[in-house]
Amino acid sequence: MSAPERAASILVVDDEAQIRRALGSILATRGYEVRFAADGRAALDLAIERSPDLVILDLALPGLSGLEVCRELRTWFTAPILVLSVKGGDADKIAAFDLGADDYVTKPFSAGELLARVRALLRRASGQAATPPVVTVGELEIDLAQRRVRRGGQEIELTRIEFDILAYLAQNAERVVTSKMILEKVWGPEYADSQDTQTLRVHVSHLRRKIEPHPSVPRYLLTEPGVGFRLSVS
Amino acid sequence: MRRARRAAERYGYAFAAGCVAAATALFYAGRPDFDTGQWALLYLLVVGLVASLSGVRPALTAAVLSFFAWNYFFLLPYGTLRVADPRDWLFLLVFLIVALAMGLQTGRLRDRESQAVARERETALLNEFSAHLVSDLPVAQVTRQLVAEVRRSTGAPRVALRLQGGETVAAPAEATDLSPEVERAAAWVAETARAVGLPAPPEGRPEAGANWPAAAGAREAGLGASDRALLLPLRTATQPLGVLWVAAREEGTAYSYQEARIVVALASLVAVFLERVQLQALAVQADALREADRLKSTFISAVSHELKTPLASLKATLTNLLEQDSPSARAPVREELEAMEQDLERLAVSIDSLLDLSRLEASAWGPQLDRYEVGEMLGTALSRLPRPDRDRVSVSLPADLPAVEVDFDQWVRVLEHLLHNALAYGGSRGAVTVGASATAEETRVWVEDEGPGLAPEERERVFDKFYRGSAAARVPSGVGLGLAIAREIVRFHGGRIWAEEVRPHGARFVIALPRVAPEGGRG
Repeated sequence: MSAPERAASILVVDDEAQIRRALGSILATRGYEVRFAADGRAALDLAIERSPDLVILDLALPGLSGLEVCRELRTWFTAPILVLSVKGGDADKIAAFDLGADDYVTKPFSAGELLARVRALLRRASGQAATPPVVTVGELEIDLAQRRVRRGGQEIELTRIEFDILAYLAQNAERVVTSKMILEKVWGPEYADSQDTQTLRVHVSHLRRKIEPHPSVPRYLLTEPGVGFRLSVS
Repeated sequence: MRRARRAAERYGYAFAAGCVAAATALFYAGRPDFDTGQWALLYLLVVGLVASLSGVRPALTAAVLSFFAWNYFFLLPYGTLRVADPRDWLFLLVFLIVALAMGLQTGRLRDRESQAVARERETALLNEFSAHLVSDLPVAQVTRQLVAEVRRSTGAPRVALRLQGGETVAAPAEATDLSPEVERAAAWVAETARAVGLPAPPEGRPEAGANWPAAAGAREAGLGASDRALLLPLRTATQPLGVLWVAAREEGTAYSYQEARIVVALASLVAVFLERVQLQALAVQADALREADRLKSTFISAVSHELKTPLASLKATLTNLLEQDSPSARAPVREELEAMEQDLERLAVSIDSLLDLSRLEASAWGPQLDRYEVGEMLGTALSRLPRPDRDRVSVSLPADLPAVEVDFDQWVRVLEHLLHNALAYGGSRGAVTVGASATAEETRVWVEDEGPGLAPEERERVFDKFYRGSAAARVPSGVGLGLAIAREIVRFHGGRIWAEEVRPHGARFVIALPRVAPEGGRG
C-alpha cells in the first residue's frame, strides 16, 4: 500500500489514551500526520489552528459532547468528519449525521476497516476527487459516463432514478450516504428535507433486485438504519 | 355588645315596640315641662335608634307606633286619638312622613353596612383560602382551618369534613365521630355528587346558584325531613375527594343563602387544593421513576464504555499488526497474533451478549421501529460474518416477502445469533439455510443447520440464559446467551421464537412476527 501523495493531516479526538495511541499507530505508520485532542474544547481549538484534512471524533466525550463538537465544527469546517460510536444502534450516531458527520466506525473496529473509511473520505475530499468513469462492484460494471450497468457483459436495465441512485452511491463508494443526500441529489434540493424515505426505499429495493447477485439479500448495497445506505465494494 | 346587636337584629319588631314603649314611659314623666310639638323630635330619635340597630322594617314599625304614641299621650286632648287643635293634624302628618323617611333611609344604610361588613369578611376568607391553593401547607392544616371557618361563619354547632381516604376533620376538633345516619348520608352524597340543605337562590337572581352542586332533599339522603344540616360533596371533575357536613343549628333555622354561599365557595377552594396535592404526589412519583430509569441507563452505558474501550484498543492494535502492509507480520509472530485476534473476537462477542442482555432486562434498549425488508437485515448480518462462514450460508426468500416493522439493529443481532449458532453447532462444514414465508397474519423467518440437532427436552431449555446444551462440548465458544437475547428481542416485538427438529438431523430456529406490530411491544 503506497503512502498518500501529500501527507494528509488527521485530527484524532478521543478521551481515552489507549484509543488515541492505537489510532495514532494505525495512521502514522501509513504516512498520515496525526494530531490528538482529548476533549471537545481542545479539538475545536486544534481544528481552528491546524485545519486538518479529516477529523476522527469520538462521540462519547466528557464535557463538551461529541455531538456538540460536530455541530460547532460544521459551522465553518468543511473537511470530512468520521465519528467513533460505541454500538451500532446508537442514537447519537444518527444525530451526528444530521449534524454533518460523513461516516462512522463502531468500536471495537479493525485497523483495516478504519483505514478503508479514512481513505474513502479523503479520496473524495482531496484534489483527486475524480471518480473513475467505470466503477467495479463485484461482478458489476457501472459506467458513469455512458450511464450503463453491466454484469458479466450483460447489460442491466435500470430506470433513470435507479441509475442516479446507484451512480451517486458509486461515487461515494465505501462511505455512508444519508437518505437526505440521495434525495437532494436525485430528486432535487427541495426534497432534501422530505421525511418520505419510503419512496427512496422502494427504489432501492427495486435496484437491489436488479443488481445484487442474490435478489433478496443485498451484499453490496447495504442499509444503514436511521441514516441511509452504503455501497460496499470489498 | 355584639350579642345585643344580634338580638336587636333578630327581634326587630319587638325591639321597635319596646323602644317606643320605653321612650313613652320616659317622656311621660316630663310631660308638663315640654311643649307638645317637641315630643316629635324626641320620638324621631327613637326611630333613628331602631333604624340603626334593627333595619328598615322595625324602623318603619317604630315610626308608626311613635305616631300613635305621640298623638295619644302627648297631644291634647290626652288619652284619645282625637286632636283639639286642627293644626296638630298637619304636624302629625309631617312627623309621620319624616319618621318614615328617616327610618327608611337610616334602616337601609344600616342594612347595607352590615351586608358590606359580611361581604368583606367573606372576601377576606376566600382570599386567604385562595392563597392556600398555591402554598405548601400540609393538608391537615388546611382542612382544619376549613371546618373551623365554616363553623364560625355559619354558627353551626358542629362541622365535619369526611375525606375520601376515610379520615375525618371536625370543628370542634374532638367531635370526629359521626352518627350512622350522617355517615350514610355522607356516603350517599359522595356517590351521587348532590348536595343536601342548600337554600334556593334569592328572588330575582336565579343565576346565583348556577355553579352549585345539584340539590337533593334531606329525605333522599337518609336524613330526617326537618333536618336542616348542609351536606356538600367535594370533588374534582372526575373523582370524589370528600364530603362536608354542617350540622343544623340548634334553633332549627335553615342556613341563609349568604351563609351557604360562603360555605360552597370555601369548599370548592379546598377541593382544588386537595386535587393539587394529589397531582403533586403523582408528579413526584413519575419523576422518581424517570430518574431510576435514567440511572439504570447511565450505569449500563458506563459499564459498556469501560469494557469496550480496552477491547477497542486491543482490536485496533492487533488488527493493525496483522494488516498486509505491516512489517511486523512475519510468520511465527503472525500466527500468535492471529490466535490473539480470535481470542479477542470471542471476548468481544461475550461482552456484547452480556451488555445486550443487561440492557434488555433493564428495559434500557427500547426498539426504534421502522419498516425494513427481511433481506436487508439478513444482508447486514451476513456482511459481518467472516468470508468462509458467509459462504456456508444459503438464503432462499420468497420474492414477495412483505416488509416488517422492527428495530433494525436488534433484528440483525437476532439473525447474527441464530447464524452463529447454526454455523458453530452444524459442524465445521455443515450447510446453513435461511428461509422465510408470510401469511396474512404473520411473517416467519428461520435458520436451519445440519448439525446434531436438539433433543426434544432441550428445545425449550435452549432459550434459557447461559444454557449450552449437550452439544456444547464440541463447540469452542459461546457463553450461552444468544438465544436468550434473541427471545427477549422477539418478544419485545410481539413475536415468538421456537426450535424445531430437522430430518435427518439438524435444528431449525423459527421466528414468527405478527404482520401488524402491536403498539410499542414490551418495555
